[in-house]
Amino acid sequence: MKALTPFGAALAILALSELTGCRGDSDGLDLPKTAKVLHLASVADVPSLDPAVGYDTSSWGFEQMIFDTLVRYSDAGVDLVPDLATQWEIAPDAKSLTFHLRRDASFTNGRAVVSGDFKYAIERVLTPSVRSKGTEYFRSIVGAEDFVAGRAKEVTGIENPDAWTIIFRLTEPDPIFVQKLAMPFAAAVPREAVDQWGNDDFSRHVIGSGPFTLKEWRSGERIVLVRNPHYFDPSWPRLDAIVQLIGVDLDLEWLKFETGELDVSAIPPAEFLRVMKTPKLKALAEHIVTLSTDYLGMNCQMKPFDDVRVRRAFNLAIRKDKASAILNGRAVPAVGILPPGLPGYDPNIDGYPYDPTKAKALLEAAGVGRDFAPTLWMRADQTEMTLGESIQQDLAEVGVHAVLKPLAWSSLLEAIRQPNTADLFSLGWEADFPDPQNFLEVLFAKKQFGANNDTFYSNPQVEKLLAEAAPVSDLSRRYQLYDQAQKLIMQDAPWVVLYHPVSYVIRQPWVHDYILNPMRPTRLERVWISAREGEQQTR
Amino acid sequence: MNGKTNLMELCGAIMIGLLAVIAIAAPLFAPYDPTRAVAASFGDPQGPSHAFLLGSDELGRDVLSRIIWGARISLIIGIAAMLVTLTIGVTIGLMSGFFGGTIDFCLMRVTDMMLAFPTLLLAMAFVTVLRPSLSTILLVIGLVSWTSIARVVRAETLSLSQRDFVRAAQALGAPSSRLIARHILPNALPIIVVMAALGTSGTLLLDAGLSFLGLGVPPPTPSWGRMIEEARIYFRTAPWLALFPGLAILYAVLGFNLLGYGYLRRRGRNTSVTMR
Repeated sequence: MKALTPFGAALAILALSELTGCRGDSDGLDLPKTAKVLHLASVADVPSLDPAVGYDTSSWGFEQMIFDTLVRYSDAGVDLVPDLATQWEIAPDAKSLTFHLRRDASFTNGRAVVSGDFKYAIERVLTPSVRSKGTEYFRSIVGAEDFVAGRAKEVTGIENPDAWTIIFRLTEPDPIFVQKLAMPFAAAVPREAVDQWGNDDFSRHVIGSGPFTLKEWRSGERIVLVRNPHYFDPSWPRLDAIVQLIGVDLDLEWLKFETGELDVSAIPPAEFLRVMKTPKLKALAEHIVTLSTDYLGMNCQMKPFDDVRVRRAFNLAIRKDKASAILNGRAVPAVGILPPGLPGYDPNIDGYPYDPTKAKALLEAAGVGRDFAPTLWMRADQTEMTLGESIQQDLAEVGVHAVLKPLAWSSLLEAIRQPNTADLFSLGWEADFPDPQNFLEVLFAKKQFGANNDTFYSNPQVEKLLAEAAPVSDLSRRYQLYDQAQKLIMQDAPWVVLYHPVSYVIRQPWVHDYILNPMRPTRLERVWISAREGEQQTR
Repeated sequence: MNGKTNLMELCGAIMIGLLAVIAIAAPLFAPYDPTRAVAASFGDPQGPSHAFLLGSDELGRDVLSRIIWGARISLIIGIAAMLVTLTIGVTIGLMSGFFGGTIDFCLMRVTDMMLAFPTLLLAMAFVTVLRPSLSTILLVIGLVSWTSIARVVRAETLSLSQRDFVRAAQALGAPSSRLIARHILPNALPIIVVMAALGTSGTLLLDAGLSFLGLGVPPPTPSWGRMIEEARIYFRTAPWLALFPGLAILYAVLGFNLLGYGYLRRRGRNTSVTMR
């Protein structure tokens, strides 16, 4: 969804899964005493509950509980499963998609969800005054550009032949368009509610058709969702309410978890090793390898990184197993660019082994002297600093004396997007869609210069392969083309791939079916709470 | 006013002397390279053992070697920053006290302004603007900690310049520069020495504080403050990582304080030296 710093990805996912909670239900919610409430906590307030606006893990975590999309990802995986669409067909040319809706879904205001609600939602995302960050994803629909420019009153490429059928027509073949419809941006939104409250206030008065509904949102204090009794599947959700405290930092969250006030918590770095060494706590920790890759980027336009030998030398000099060990298993050493678990991942890709002798020889051949001291641009964060020092150690072994430059996250992003600014930097990337395109094209295509292609890498052969692969629907052919592109990029070595972050949370023994997803926030409708045995504490 | 060295001063002198020897001969004392991974304890710091007397840290570095090399950095910063402090503080104090009037007023208002800012905050602001490096750090520490020395030296100068021997020299036509250099400065020296000794422990702490906040000497140079900062993550699983550098800071600060107060006691002056 956006560049994430090494380990930042894991933290961000923790932040979203940080949907933790506290006990003590008598806080003016008039819930019955027997109500099953999941208590969570987070530092920051939720940016938005409006599906057209929210574009971060915390917003999405709530939005996917309040709203329904046509299709969604399975609880633990990245395969698409029906949500409000019971079935769908994608035309062989990948230029049109037809969805058939279930007929028993309704909004919490009592009105049935119809195909027009999806059309309205996407038109809202495309309306410039809504300032949605999702606009780019739907521009490929026929008529979308006209709608955005104000030349058309509707998006002609979204057709509703009847209340239960919706057809999308695209300007060019896009086999992964269906994935875009799994984002909260494309969730069904009732027009009457938006009209009543206005675009800006809708976030505070959301009405959706999802398993939960918003009961209370006190800024900076707490956000409360309660079960939607009219949810189309009466078996879900199993919880009666979710209470998320806001303004609780990681250490306080941990303390509250230890006293049993919260049901799920992220694990602070300072506690991680202890949790892993305490069998009782370890058994309660859940983890998943995220669909993300953390890497060292090298600016291919800056000397001496414009020389492929230097970039390869860096790849050979850095010990990935060490970086993962420093994170105590919160990372899987990376071999290639694509994370394991991503469809199209090639387990047989050749990475770079640890070979300092060869690295030294390459540096020498490239004429890089002993005085070479690149600046490692990185996020100012303790874990990052430790990793930075580890990389500094590895590079010192081959005679390169890197200088660490810790920066605030926003300054770092700004710097690396400027040409000829950051020669060496540490970043991460987390998938939006489970498709190699989401890594290889977004991060290595020339058109992404100044945006996501922060290494300013370009190779005409790679460009050709990317263009060839994008419209291919046949998955084995598609993945084969992307695999070729990945291999070329690995040879050109604009990145030192480091590791794939592993996301960890810890739950109380009475919390069940809290399932982590490698790409999205945890869905909470499956979660259930059993009776707490006596006053059993996890301490 | 007896000239006998007392126990306090002796202890301080021995402690600092020992520290200086360790710092100068760090390569001889340190069993390992302080920046290289010598233990295979990545991510899982190991406690004190035969091979690593004070344990190893999360990057496999030997804690003892880092403390020994850290002594060098700490002493360099402590002493060099004190020299910067003395240069600024003594100059301003002497000028202010000797010339008085408008000069005194202006210089003291500047001093008041500097005092109005919390030292650490001011140092952080400076370091953030300048690029952190050894020379920046000691310059910044010097720049923010001269105020108390300036005030004490000013007070001393004020009182000295009223004394008969200064007046006499003045009556004989001695120029201001000679009065300051030959008559006032030598007599203010004892108090300056005390301030310097006590101030050095202050600069050591400030350096540790800056390093702890990630604004000290940049890595991989070992520094005690940074060692404690890095150990924070492992506070519950590997407390020795923070304990030993903490003790090292304690030792150095105590040494300089004993030296300063011991000297003060020996001189037995009418000193109401107040440190910040």
